[in-house]
Order: sequence, then C-alpha cells, then structure tokens
Amino acid sequence: MDFNDLMPLLSFWIGQIGDLGLDLLWRFIHIVVSLWHIVSGIFEAILSNAISLGLIQKYSAIDIEKLRCLAVVVDIEVARDVSKVIDLLQWLKTIGVKQVGLFDSQGLLKKSKDMILEMVPGSMLLQETGEKDISPDRKGIIDIEFISSSDNKEAVVKAANILLEKHLKSNNHPEKDEEGDNVFTESHLNEALRVVGENVRVPDLMLVYGPVRSHLGFPAWRLRYTEIVHMGSLKYMRYGSLLKAIHKFTGVRQNYGV
Amino acid sequence: MLSLLCCFLFFLSFLVHSCLRLRTQAKRSLKDEKEIDEGAYVVGEEETPTRLLRELMPRHVAVIMDGNRRWAERAGLLTSQGHEAGAKRLLEFAELCFKLGIETVSAFAFSTENWGRHKIEVKCLMSLIQRYLKSKIQFFQSEEIRVSVIGNLEKIPESLLGIIKETEEATMRYKKKHLILAIDYSGRSDILHACKSIVKKSQQGLIREEDVDETLFEQELLTKCTEFPSPDLLIRTSGEQRISNFLLWQLAYTELFFSPVLWPDFDKYKFLEALISYQRRERRFGCRI
Repeated sequence: MDFNDLMPLLSFWIGQIGDLGLDLLWRFIHIVVSLWHIVSGIFEAILSNAISLGLIQKYSAIDIEKLRCLAVVVDIEVARDVSKVIDLLQWLKTIGVKQVGLFDSQGLLKKSKDMILEMVPGSMLLQETGEKDISPDRKGIIDIEFISSSDNKEAVVKAANILLEKHLKSNNHPEKDEEGDNVFTESHLNEALRVVGENVRVPDLMLVYGPVRSHLGFPAWRLRYTEIVHMGSLKYMRYGSLLKAIHKFTGVRQNYGV
Repeated sequence: MLSLLCCFLFFLSFLVHSCLRLRTQAKRSLKDEKEIDEGAYVVGEEETPTRLLRELMPRHVAVIMDGNRRWAERAGLLTSQGHEAGAKRLLEFAELCFKLGIETVSAFAFSTENWGRHKIEVKCLMSLIQRYLKSKIQFFQSEEIRVSVIGNLEKIPESLLGIIKETEEATMRYKKKHLILAIDYSGRSDILHACKSIVKKSQQGLIREEDVDETLFEQELLTKCTEFPSPDLLIRTSGEQRISNFLLWQLAYTELFFSPVLWPDFDKYKFLEALISYQRRERRFGCRI
C-alpha cells in the first residue's frame, strides 16, 4: 500500500475523528444545558417553597388592590380534577383576590360550580350584568365567575345579532333613531354583550394552567390589555409560584400603546 | 481511585455509543436533510434538538414587534433609528419564515393606540412604513410575496395609502407567501367592523339574520384576506406578556411565545427557540384527546 492509497483512508479517518469530536462537544453542551434546566427547576422549587413559608420579605406584602379582576384558564384535562381548582381558589382567597373568572373551554367547571362554591368558604357566584364595584366591607369574599368557550365567539355573534336587530329597527323608525350609524361603538357592543348575559370586565391578569401556552378561547373581547402568565400544570401548582406571578404583575407598568 | 475509574468507564461507554451512532449516521444519506441557513439548523424528517419538523411548522405566525424604542435607547440611538432597525428585522424575519415553509406572517406594525404617541414619532413611523414599502415592491415581486395591509386606515396619510394600494395591487396574484401588516389596527375595531359589515350585507339582502354565525362572522373580519386567519404562533418581544388588542378574535388557540429580547435583537436563533417551543406543545384546540 503506497502513500497515494493511504491518503483517502487517512482523510476519511480524520473526518470521522472530527465528526466524533463535534458529536462529543454537542453532547457535552446538551448535558450542560440539561443540567442547567434541572438546577433552575430545583432553584425554582426551593424559591417557591421559601415564598410559601413567608421567608422572602417582598412577597409578604402584595399590593393586591391593583389586581381587581383575575382570570384563571384551566386545561380541560385538569378541569376534571375539581379538588385542585378548589385549592387554587382557596389560595387566591388567602392572598386577597376579590374576583376570579374561571375558564375552561368545555364548561366542565361551570357544571361543577355548585360544588366549587360550596367547598370554597366565602365564595359567591358573580351574577354579572355590568361592572361590579368591590366595596371594602366585602372583605373575605371572593366572587367567582364561570366561563367557557360559549361565552366567547358565540356570545359576540349573539351580541352582533342584537346590534343588527337594533339597527334594522332604527331604520324602520328613522325618527326614533338618535344614533344612526353609531350603534357600532365599543360601548354598544359591551351593552349588547351584557344583554346576552356576559360579563365585559377586562381581567388585569390571566393565569394559564395547562401544557399549552394559549388562552384556549377565553372571551376575546375582554383580553385587550390582560397580562398573560403561563403557570404550567395545575397538578403541580405551588402557592409560592402563584404569589410570585401576582407579585410580578403588580410591578408591571403598561403604556397602552402610547 | 474508584471515582476516577467510574469516570473513565462512563467516558468509555459514551465514546463507544458515539462511535456506534456515527456509523449509523454515516449510512443515512443527506437526501432527507435540507440546509436552510448557514448551518444554524436544518429541517428534516425526524426531530432532534436542533431540527424542526416540516409537518409541524406553523402555517401562520403573528408577531408583536415590541421594543424598538428601548433598543434605540440602550444603543444610544434615536427612536427613529430603533424603528428602522425594527423594520429591517421584520423583513429578515418574514424571509426566514417563508424559507421555512411558513405561509403567512402577520406583523403588528402600528396599533390604533399608537396614535397617542408623540406626533413626531408617529410621523416618522408613517414615513418609515411608506419608504420601506415603496423600496421593497420589486423585492416582494421577485420573491412572490403577497403583501396585505389590515387596519382602520382612515387617519393614514394619503401618500402612504397610495403606496399601500400600489403594493397590494402589485403583489395580489401571489399565493404561497403572504405578509400581512396591521397598521392602525385594533382587535376590538376588527370585531366591530365585522358587525357593521354584517349589518350592511343584511340591508342589501345578501344575508339573513338567521345566517349570522361564527363562520360568517369570521369571514367579515379584516383577516379574511388570508386562508389562515388564525395564527398558530404569536411571538411578542421585549418581555411584555399581553396581546395588546391584536387579533383578539383570531388568537383563541394560538400558541403564545413571549420573548424577553427586544425586537431588533430577535434574530433567527431566538426564532428557532420559539419554533422548537411551538413544535413541542400539545395543542388540543379546546378539545379532549
């Protein structure tokens, strides 16, 4: 075997060794990144427990007044486990949240509302036809609203039909029509939604529990400036993580596009 | 001594495993791997940490390009330069999306609420959009990118309206790649506009009251210009975690990806992160599996 025959074989092995080196480097980086995720997960869990135990001062006093309306979106798979939802509501009540909109796309929580209201002391069903003032003497009370996908697009379509009807009536009686083409402002649609039985209150914060980072069909009309936080699985929810998310929200400054 | 031995054995098994993997990889041909970029990632048939599956690519990606002003501030530049960098980033982003097989890209370029900003900034933004659209018409045509603009457009300067119309007309025939720019757009106004449109059609006898349902309503929204009005993935940069009145109706089951990076810094690697996150999610569209 002379030198010319040896060259291709040599370059092949050099290439293979180079590939192996790169592969090892890639796996090393993979290990480092995986370890980083594990460590940060452990850190997160420790932090969450420390917050739960009240060891971290800044989470002990939260300006809960800023959170007037909270939305909680629950994946349908966990919505069946109502006990977790009840625990969550009790935690929210402890924190001082006054109004919670509980959403799951299929309306499973709506079906269990009586049980949920019974199991959460101090909870009341939010009978909503308009904005509700939260007066200070309602301390220890949490208003719960049960929402599903039918309150989203279906409700807007019904409200659109009401506006259509109103417009057609005003066309038939032009002398009674004071607004003319102005039946289509945001406040008109708000009013039409209230007629249909929908709450139009905009949540300040939305917590999403589930595998997907999506609001899963929460009423779109209400989501304009809502802060959205993905909390992971409801099965592994932690009080500390909940407190941390709410605390972070109280520090957010919105400029509303201006 | 024992720990050293364990390390050595671990390393040896690792080495052997790697060699075996190399042999099988060498047998696999490069036919099922397509180079998309300068080695940043490839799109193939199987999923690996660096690879994206073509069949799991979103069809429609929406982006809220937040952070141009903060980027300019941090870089010691003018706000207008921040917006310039943002516009450049958008074109790069759109090109990358189309290369990856994503058919529709929607960008929130200017919201109705943005009219409340300083007059000079608004004027700069309008001028920037006009300049970019005018200078890129040929590019859009050569790349066969359809450009649509959605929004109220009543307050838009005439000169910009003219350029928008020209761009839309020049690119209307292209089907495979669609860039939608939301200018003077508000999600709530979009819904109201659909209501008005329904009333108008009802007055003209084109639809009956009982025909009004979700499907019909969706066809009256401003996103009717695209086959896929609902984005699969929404990316918002700069760390803000809200949708700020963008495509409210259309985002029901959209995967939301909030990146802490400012928009002009949102490069292909950050986008890769968003796509990997998207492809790993189990989207159920509100149903049980």
